[in-house]
Amino acid sequence: MSNTKNNSKNNDTLRMFMGKYGIGVILVFMLVIISIMKPRFIYPSNVLNILTQISVNCLIAYGMCLAITTGGIDLSVGSQLALVSCLLGQFIVNMNMNIFLACVLAALAATLMGFINGFLIAKFDMFPFVVTLATQLVIRSLAQIISDGKGLSMAMPGFKAIYSGTLFGIPLPIIYMIVISIIMYIVLHWTRFGRYVFAVGGNVHAAIASGVSVFWTKTMCYTISGLLAGLAGIIFSSKTGSAQSNIGVGYETDAVAACVLGGTSFAGGIATAPGVLLGAIIIGCIYNGMNFLNIGSYYQYMTKGIIIIFAVLLDMVINKKGN
Amino acid sequence: MMKKVIATLMTAAVAMSLVACGSDPAPQEPTPAQEEAPAAEDAAPAEDAAGDAAASAAAGGDMNGDGKIVVGYISKNTVDVFHATINGAAEEKLNALKDEGVIDDWTGILDGNTDAAKQCDLAQDCINYNCDYVIILPAESTASDPAVTALSDAGIGVIVVNSKTDSTDFLALTYCGSDDVFAGELMGQYVQEQVPDGGVFVHCQGIIGNSAQQQRGEGIANTIGADSNWTLAADVPCDWDPSKAVNAVDDYLAQYGDDLKAVICDNDDMSSAAQTECNAKGREDIVCIGVDGNQGPLQMVKDGTLGATVLQDGAGQVLAGIDAVVKSVNGETVEKEYTIPFVLVTSDNVDEYLN
Repeated sequence: MSNTKNNSKNNDTLRMFMGKYGIGVILVFMLVIISIMKPRFIYPSNVLNILTQISVNCLIAYGMCLAITTGGIDLSVGSQLALVSCLLGQFIVNMNMNIFLACVLAALAATLMGFINGFLIAKFDMFPFVVTLATQLVIRSLAQIISDGKGLSMAMPGFKAIYSGTLFGIPLPIIYMIVISIIMYIVLHWTRFGRYVFAVGGNVHAAIASGVSVFWTKTMCYTISGLLAGLAGIIFSSKTGSAQSNIGVGYETDAVAACVLGGTSFAGGIATAPGVLLGAIIIGCIYNGMNFLNIGSYYQYMTKGIIIIFAVLLDMVINKKGN
Repeated sequence: MMKKVIATLMTAAVAMSLVACGSDPAPQEPTPAQEEAPAAEDAAPAEDAAGDAAASAAAGGDMNGDGKIVVGYISKNTVDVFHATINGAAEEKLNALKDEGVIDDWTGILDGNTDAAKQCDLAQDCINYNCDYVIILPAESTASDPAVTALSDAGIGVIVVNSKTDSTDFLALTYCGSDDVFAGELMGQYVQEQVPDGGVFVHCQGIIGNSAQQQRGEGIANTIGADSNWTLAADVPCDWDPSKAVNAVDDYLAQYGDDLKAVICDNDDMSSAAQTECNAKGREDIVCIGVDGNQGPLQMVKDGTLGATVLQDGAGQVLAGIDAVVKSVNGETVEKEYTIPFVLVTSDNVDEYLN
């Protein structure tokens, strides 16, 4: 009898541990396996390399996480990258604008697009999938109109430094990612807005009954998603040193994958900021690790798909409440 | 208890899927002894590591002094027919070189996904993989350039294949490609010869901003575009997409009818689709021509449903690039640029190129 009790107590502890850190366990497991097969994978230079590479996806994923947590999705983020890139090209190259000012204006434009997404979704109760699918087309078209379909070189050192600069030996994109991660953690888990996001996604009627403004909560989520996509677009443009309208196609997929791996529930109301970060790191490790393991490119998408399915299944099994 | 078992099983499954796929296409993992070498090298000065057993390979090409010659291969993508052919030729050749012991290892075909940012990431991966040479087929002339500069800064020999990036002339070990202006001129001249009386022609463009699109357009403008017998109906942006080329044919057939005499396309996926559409509309007399020499259009030339196509020898380009690696490894001189000629393929010579 006492034995059974002990057992179930142990199970509870394990479940709580895995529920909180299950995705981290998967990550550690992956790191260990790849490192055993290719020790060079875990060298500090490669770890910094992976973290730098994931910065764009991570920022997008935080915005995506907000949208998904309120029961929606934001498919327009890939086009947002293109819009920001083309705006930066016009501002910096053609108008000779100060780089910082250009970045602020470009990010504001993306934020405005995010606001429009949120407004349409919240005000008219339209399906987020449909709204953002449509704005994705509109935004990409805007990018093409602004750039006239032509690429511009933005290889000036001041702009390139946004991506390639370092602080205390750490690449700047990692610094941005850390700062945004801290802010997102505070916003999601420590502020009233964060509680509203979970409330709206979890049970919208209960949220309304307790006086939460569903309109503003949803609108703010998509606006923040726009802002984060805008910041990601600045990093992206600096990375390639060019302004182009054909970039960012399919980038929403990796962002959704990072959210899902990080335990964000498509049913709404469940998400954690550290989970999204871990999800983005796992995606980065999958990409980088597959190249290190010499996995043929035809197998890579399949591998990624299988890992995502198993990781999410694992997460569900671990987190399943009761029996 | 059950849950614990399932959880353990699934963790194992995640791990296995990685391991299983990992061992699939690239059977030869380095032996433990080889694996130690790079680890030791980081602690000791590089020259020491190069001085040991692996010194034979270190002769010319061991750029980073780790005792091994490793080649990276960053593709433009793995889905276009043209690039699949290039990648296939490269894979065969590099595997052969590895078997012969000329190089110690290569990264496999890294998928650039036609995404310049992805290629920049892959360049960093190659640096961390300790590559000595990297062959890259740029997705964009400007946006892929950071990949070339990063590799070059890391002391890696960069071989740019198929199209140039902005700093290729200054930084790359060599460039192996073809002159796209010449391809455009070949197309223009062919149409002028076939229809001496002239008429109206349509130009179906590739993705705007792509260097191949721009240069082929230049070649077309130099020849048929400057001919007073010919009128350009429009430069139609078709994004290399055959279905858009068919739409363009329909639009301009409706507008110009019998005056439309030729459709010149920036690639031959588009020109073959355009010709098929013209033939279906009973206008076999319209001359459609494009660049690449993909198997589909070549088969049409063989069947007589397409007059001609301009072959870009992609396999020849990448093999020239790999030859440059071998030359560099052997300490021979490598030219700054290798030009692989375009070939006009008609029913006379199609058998040489059709597999």
